[in-house]
Amino acid sequence: MNFGFSEEQRDVQNLARQIFTDLVSPETLKASDDYAAERFDEALWGKLAEAGLLGVAIDEAYGGMGFGFMELGLLVEEVGRSIAPAPVIPALVSGALPIQKFGSDEQKQRLLPGVVSGKTLLTAALMEKFNENPASPKLTSAVAKDGGYSVSGTKLCVPFAHRAERMIVSAKTEGGVVVLLVDPKAQGVTLNEMKVTTFEPQYEVVLKDVAVAADDVLAQADEGASVMQWLAECTTAALCTHQVGVTDCAMRMTASYTAERKQFGVPIATFQAVGHRAANCFIDVECLRLNAYQAVSRLANGLSATNEVQIAKIWAGDVGHRVSYASQHLHGGMGIDRDYPLWRYCTWMRHNEMMLGSSAKNLAALGKRVAAGEAYCQ
Amino acid sequence: MKVEFTPEQEALRTELRAYFNELMTPELRIECDRDMGEGGGPLWREALLKMGRDGWIGVGWPKELGGRGMSPIEQFIFVEEIMRAGYPFPFLTTESVGPQLAEHGNEWQKANIVPKILTGECLIAIGYSEPGAGTDLARLKTTAVKEGDEWVINGQKMWTSLAHFCDYVWLACRTDQNAEKPHRGISMFLVPTSDPGWSSTPVVTLGGVRTNATYYDNIRVTDDALVGELNKGWKLITGQLNRERLSLVNCGPTQQLFNGVVKWAEETELPEGGRLIDQPWVQMNLAKVRAGVEALKLVCYKQAWAMTEGTLDMADASAAKVYGSEFFIEVYRALGEVMEQMSLVSEHSPNAEQHASRVERLYRTASIITFGGGTNEIQRDIISAAGLWMPRATR
Ligand SMILES: Cc1cc2nc3c(=O)[nH]c(=O)nc-3n(C[C@H](O)[C@H](O)[C@H](O)COP(=O)(O)OP(=O)(O)OC[C@H]3O[C@@H](n4cnc5c(N)ncnc54)[C@H](O)[C@@H]3O)c2cc1C
Ligand SMILES: Cc1cc2nc3c(=O)[nH]c(=O)nc-3n(C[C@H](O)[C@H](O)[C@H](O)COP(=O)(O)OP(=O)(O)OC[C@H]3O[C@@H](n4cnc5c(N)ncnc54)[C@H](O)[C@@H]3O)c2cc1C
Repeated sequence: MNFGFSEEQRDVQNLARQIFTDLVSPETLKASDDYAAERFDEALWGKLAEAGLLGVAIDEAYGGMGFGFMELGLLVEEVGRSIAPAPVIPALVSGALPIQKFGSDEQKQRLLPGVVSGKTLLTAALMEKFNENPASPKLTSAVAKDGGYSVSGTKLCVPFAHRAERMIVSAKTEGGVVVLLVDPKAQGVTLNEMKVTTFEPQYEVVLKDVAVAADDVLAQADEGASVMQWLAECTTAALCTHQVGVTDCAMRMTASYTAERKQFGVPIATFQAVGHRAANCFIDVECLRLNAYQAVSRLANGLSATNEVQIAKIWAGDVGHRVSYASQHLHGGMGIDRDYPLWRYCTWMRHNEMMLGSSAKNLAALGKRVAAGEAYCQ
Repeated sequence: MKVEFTPEQEALRTELRAYFNELMTPELRIECDRDMGEGGGPLWREALLKMGRDGWIGVGWPKELGGRGMSPIEQFIFVEEIMRAGYPFPFLTTESVGPQLAEHGNEWQKANIVPKILTGECLIAIGYSEPGAGTDLARLKTTAVKEGDEWVINGQKMWTSLAHFCDYVWLACRTDQNAEKPHRGISMFLVPTSDPGWSSTPVVTLGGVRTNATYYDNIRVTDDALVGELNKGWKLITGQLNRERLSLVNCGPTQQLFNGVVKWAEETELPEGGRLIDQPWVQMNLAKVRAGVEALKLVCYKQAWAMTEGTLDMADASAAKVYGSEFFIEVYRALGEVMEQMSLVSEHSPNAEQHASRVERLYRTASIITFGGGTNEIQRDIISAAGLWMPRATR
């Protein structure tokens, strides 16, 4: 049991924090409010590439830093703390990690160096309507064709599909689930813009008899479901560390604000009701942080993490919801004023709460595992 | 960052689990139940001495002090396992007062008290609260007055738990009536309960747990009994409470109870057919407890790790105490709901069920640590001030 950060981990944190502090501010974030501009900061992405951070978890053979998922998780936490317009989760977690772990040499050579340099963006199509489990696609299916597959179906809320070189798509076949690398510009792919609470570019991806060549098959039917399960667990754990950053920042913003804001002649922080609600946030964020780190740490070390990921996501949902409303309330009207930075954080707390399954859904899933004898306390 | 046990820690858990399995004989269990999970009976004492002989009580203590030289994480693993096994471990003595004495005690205390704590021969109760001094502990009135070479102690303490079978009371006394702030005039003493001037009367609580009112009538002690410096007792009190907090919210018993109820629900058939555990609402309650206990486990281990690193954070310690104490109440409620009416049937009833009757009692005891060990309101004050740098109202 070690809850400390290694020197490398501190370096990643500090480097990322420095870049986001320098390049992300309420003014830069404002540009993409209400989709006025695309929520993607190319200069920032370039800076992350230059610093080597886009390759933090990519092997040195492909130009990366060669660290693991733990270090990537810490980068994601900093993205959360700054709510930087940088698609680190879709590109580096959902997109690049499974290719590195399960891809062929050719796929890795083709795609990973570009990820590290910032030239290649990847993403994954993880959700369908009323189906948040990418290991079990219901509305997307594929049939073998020309050594590859022909795939049809509809995916929802796919981030950055319009910029992606490839998007990871799972589809059911007669023999099981296959995982495909689909080119969003391929024939038969339609991208329909969605407008969502965070202003993140997201698309409904409609696939109609899209041809996927043999060298773009990431996993065949015998292992597709387990690849997607792993991908989903990594992405969920990453959403949890993002939530750690977002909630920690919102909570500390609230603490600072209430320490300055005076009513009745004193800082409102000195009212016990205010201090205690903030203290509840502190406890909540600590519980979330430890569960998120545990999930990431286990995945990084190749241990089973299904229970731990579900539990972390339950906390991410509950804590996001509670910290969002406590922060808004303790700010009074200022919390929701769009000239004050808190409100954007509230949208991201909501995003992380709902993406890939809410607390209720994860509780139900965990309850099933308890009933199956799979979640005893060790 | 590596949130998993090392192979050595896993091995220690396995070893301890087997050890306590053997130690907890049916006779000892019956005695502990009779004593309301407080201990103090003859078999309980015998088991404690055995643990002392086998070198377990101080597993995480330095070798110079008679321990095994492992870290606070191993010490926590030991306490977790012993509490899982259902043994009422005197953690106030071993985990909070003991380490304070080892660090701040005088030569006499280090030679005569500390070693006996590690052998299980010396038990110490905590004497802070008084009828007029609870949360506002610094207003305590029990006095120690110097007469020649001796201190003369007079006063009354309230809620002095375990004192009826302890050897000493770790007693907070006023030693300076004119201190500029009340907490600057307090000193700590180790007062023997064998003194003729010492007496106690039982106080029985909602959960059946016995505590005591204790009385101090012209008890005379020498400087050997004074712990640390004169009038510097407040730091010892807060230091002890910081250490106590981790033991109060130990995750072991809840994990054990959860596992027991899950197993029970797997085996329980509904009258209309099917297993109880396949009910969606049952799964929901169990999942809530499971998710909560995971957080408690991590919070506890982070504390133990921080103690190993020497970086124990005040806000984190308070957060652990508030979270754990309030979570326990929700656990007993949620698990009680799963066991329905049986969770109101006491262990003294002929048709009691093991886990349900345990919850019947636990549900009645659960409030103690939301105010005991430093009330949660004060803990939240500490969290907002020390953890979030929020200014506090002056009191
Ligand atoms: C959308 C919107 C519409 C509005 N419409 C109107 C309107 O039409 N007319 C109008 O006059 N006003 C209006 N208001 C203002 C609204 O009434 C104030 O926001 C509200 O009174 C709180 O004041 P405040 O925002 O200054 O927060 P503050 O007073 O600064 O409070 C901040 C936080 O401190 C807490 N707090 C303050 N004092 C204490 C205390 N003594 N003890 C414990 N906690 C305390 C509060 O509960 C809150 O959580 C509107 C506000 C909004 C956001
Ligand atoms: C079973 C049991 C065992 C115990 N064992 C021991 C023991 O071994 N040794 C020992 O010394 N003591 C022991 N105690 C005493 C325990 O520590 C006290 O009960 C506790 O400190 C609270 O004091 P009080 O009961 O006087 O409540 P009070 O201090 O009167 O508090 C009553 C309520 O007011 C709230 N309150 C008080 N001050 C504030 C404030 N500033 N801000 C907000 N809210 C406030 C409290 O949180 C609480 O909810 C035990 C108590 C029990 C019931």
